[in-house]
Amino acid sequence: MNKFAIIGDSTCDLTGELRAKYNIEYARMSVTLGNDVDAKEIYADLDWPEISPKEYYDLMRNGTRMRTAQVTEQEFDRVFIPHLEKGEDVIYISCSSALSASVKLAIKLNNEKYSKKYPNARLIIVDSLISCIGQGMLCIEAAKLREEGKSVDEVSSWLEENKLTCNQVATLETLEYLKRAGRVKATKAFFGNLFGVKPMLISDAKGNNYAIEKQKGRRNGLLRTISMTKEVVINPENQIAYLVHSDANPEDVELVRSKLIDECHFKEVYIAPLGPIIGATTGPGTLAVFCFGKKVEVVSAE
Amino acid sequence: MDTRELKQLNGSEFKELVKCGALNLRANYQEVDNLNVFPVPDGDTGTNMCRTIESGVVNIENKNENNIGKIGKDLSKGMLMGARGNSGVILSQIFRGICKGLATYETVGAIELGEAFKTGVKQAYEAVVTPVEGTILTVFREATEYACANINETSTINEFFELHLKQALISLKNTKELLPVLKEADVIDSGGCGYCYIVKGIVKYLDGEEVVGNLEVEANKTTSNEIDFDAFTANDVLKFGYCTEFILRLQNSKVDIPSFDENIIIDYLQHSKVKGDSIVCLKDEDVIKVHVHTKNPGLVLTKMREYGEFLTIKIENMALQHNEITEEEEKIPHKKFAIVAVASGEGLANQFKEFGVDQIVSGNNTMNPSTEDFISAYKKINADHIFVFPNNKNIILAAKQSAQLYKAAEIHVIETKTIPQCYSALTMIDFSIDDVDQIIESINESFANVTSGEVTYSIRDCTINNVDIHKDDYMAIVNGQIVASVNDKIQILKSLLDSIEDIKEKQVIVLIFGSDVTDVEKEKSIELITSNYPWIEVGSFDGGQSVYSYFIDIE
Repeated sequence: MNKFAIIGDSTCDLTGELRAKYNIEYARMSVTLGNDVDAKEIYADLDWPEISPKEYYDLMRNGTRMRTAQVTEQEFDRVFIPHLEKGEDVIYISCSSALSASVKLAIKLNNEKYSKKYPNARLIIVDSLISCIGQGMLCIEAAKLREEGKSVDEVSSWLEENKLTCNQVATLETLEYLKRAGRVKATKAFFGNLFGVKPMLISDAKGNNYAIEKQKGRRNGLLRTISMTKEVVINPENQIAYLVHSDANPEDVELVRSKLIDECHFKEVYIAPLGPIIGATTGPGTLAVFCFGKKVEVVSAE
Repeated sequence: MDTRELKQLNGSEFKELVKCGALNLRANYQEVDNLNVFPVPDGDTGTNMCRTIESGVVNIENKNENNIGKIGKDLSKGMLMGARGNSGVILSQIFRGICKGLATYETVGAIELGEAFKTGVKQAYEAVVTPVEGTILTVFREATEYACANINETSTINEFFELHLKQALISLKNTKELLPVLKEADVIDSGGCGYCYIVKGIVKYLDGEEVVGNLEVEANKTTSNEIDFDAFTANDVLKFGYCTEFILRLQNSKVDIPSFDENIIIDYLQHSKVKGDSIVCLKDEDVIKVHVHTKNPGLVLTKMREYGEFLTIKIENMALQHNEITEEEEKIPHKKFAIVAVASGEGLANQFKEFGVDQIVSGNNTMNPSTEDFISAYKKINADHIFVFPNNKNIILAAKQSAQLYKAAEIHVIETKTIPQCYSALTMIDFSIDDVDQIIESINESFANVTSGEVTYSIRDCTINNVDIHKDDYMAIVNGQIVASVNDKIQILKSLLDSIEDIKEKQVIVLIFGSDVTDVEKEKSIELITSNYPWIEVGSFDGGQSVYSYFIDIE
């Protein structure tokens, strides 16, 4: 009765360790490395079997373009059908619909295929309205509730009610990758050639990666990550802060990690690589902190 | 020639006096320019003062007016609008005060003139937030006090100015004792010197000497008035028509002037084949002034001769004056916040525009923008608030003067003294805060920690701040202080950065290359920073400015 699957996707940044611990699966997106002739398409695999995070982000630093692709029908089939066939319900906690069309495809497939073919099992789709390990944290919370014996409906309604309390505070090395990918909402304040200006990126209530303010210089960007986290976090003593980064300087990572403990008072900090999909749009050196706190608000007007 | 002994000063004599003052300054302005404390090639006090007083003179030159109060009013207005540079703005305020004092008089004697000069002192001191002694202010004040103390009812205008000049020259010499920077550089105050040349010109005239020279009347023309003939080529189609302006003198032989109704003309311009728009038509006794945009100016001219004859006619293809069109007819979209910044160099101007600057006021090192240049920029903007970045300490006053004179928007002068400060502020500006006071506060905060570097060359040998400087060598200037001088364009960068005590704390350097920097030098300069200061992130772009090889934003 209480056996149901929790499935994320490539942007949830859950390491093998966390997925095993909480019994979470994920649907893979894919990424094409490079252009034209040399192009090579690989799965956006969170275990990084084909390329290490360092190698991947170094390629970007050297100018290799990364083109990302949403989850395909076959991939959804691969992760959903084994459960549905057995009559097991599935909660798919997707990457923000503002960032990936995967969730749209999943809804379409559910309406046209899964619900008809597998009437004895339900696929419940939760648009996380966030990405990275924030999405992963929702997966983990869902898994914990499942462990406590909550039903699939209880878990999915908890997710809908609480997903906007997951906060993202990210600092980027540059806004260039995001601009190129067209995956950012920003005010006019981000126009022009902003040398040394570090955008601070939050995930707003519509699931947009929103460049909310600027900091001059990397150090200020890192420090602002801490102060913004302090502003939004609730009850840090009882939660783990999740920190993901796209091959950021180890000293920068350590600076933020130690301040999350010393200044924000989290009980623990979990560090993971930023996955290849979101990493492709934010660029190398991105450092993002996720925690539960105040409900995020709509920032972008449209 | 005989002395022109004046018991009373009337409007037309006053006009002559000021004109001769201006001519004499024009004849000597380079000497004033060279009195710059810093050996940087932008000593422009003489030029600025010249252009300021000349735009006053131009405004009264053709006035047939004997009333000194009325002449004064026009003189004052012309100078206020034409004021550029600190000394220019102060000079315009001096004359503004003098002219206020003259306002109610038809003619004045020495006593009244002295009182008017005292009003000038008051006005000038009030206009400057923190008056500094040892400048033109001191020279003018002491000269005025001395002259006023030594005249009586029988004194002539000549005596007043002789006394005024005598003390002005003494005070000028003494400026060196009052201002340590002048003493160190061993120069007298340039603004005070410029003022003395003006008074000398006046005294020369009164002595019956001829004051020769030409006023540079084109001083009043801004570059935006230059006509670009390429804007309408052999293949273009007339789209906007002609801006047609004329003044018509109604003729008794043709119409009954008193009862002639200008609506006849307006009606014709609107409803005939003329199909005119933007029509302005004013009747003043027997003179009619008309402004109309039409594709058929010929029709208009023929028709108008039924009523009178032309005094002047001006017809311009509007494709060539698109600026004017945008100003007058295209509705400029309204915005809450707008930005005006002073810059020279195409690259800088483009970069600033990318950051959201609405209007660039062109200001180069030998030509500080005037009050009027700022106001023309404001006129091209439709906004509630305009933030102004003067980017030079010698331009801030003119910007502030323009802010007081302009009423159609609230002008906020951000006191940026360098291009790097402005660059930094613009990269961080964020109007989404939406609150004016907060925006101003955050702008001021954003450039407060900027270290401004500038590299230029020296125009003379000298020693400043214990730095030995040879003519034509490069000089490194950090936050307005000369810190090093060498003859190598790359090495000077190293010296500049090494002079910054907390360079270890800095995170970002942006190099803005001047037009003289070659591609090889650009590469070398970036390489120099990345190898010597590896913790710093370096950016660069071509500013295209002259005189300054680098502007450097260090944060």
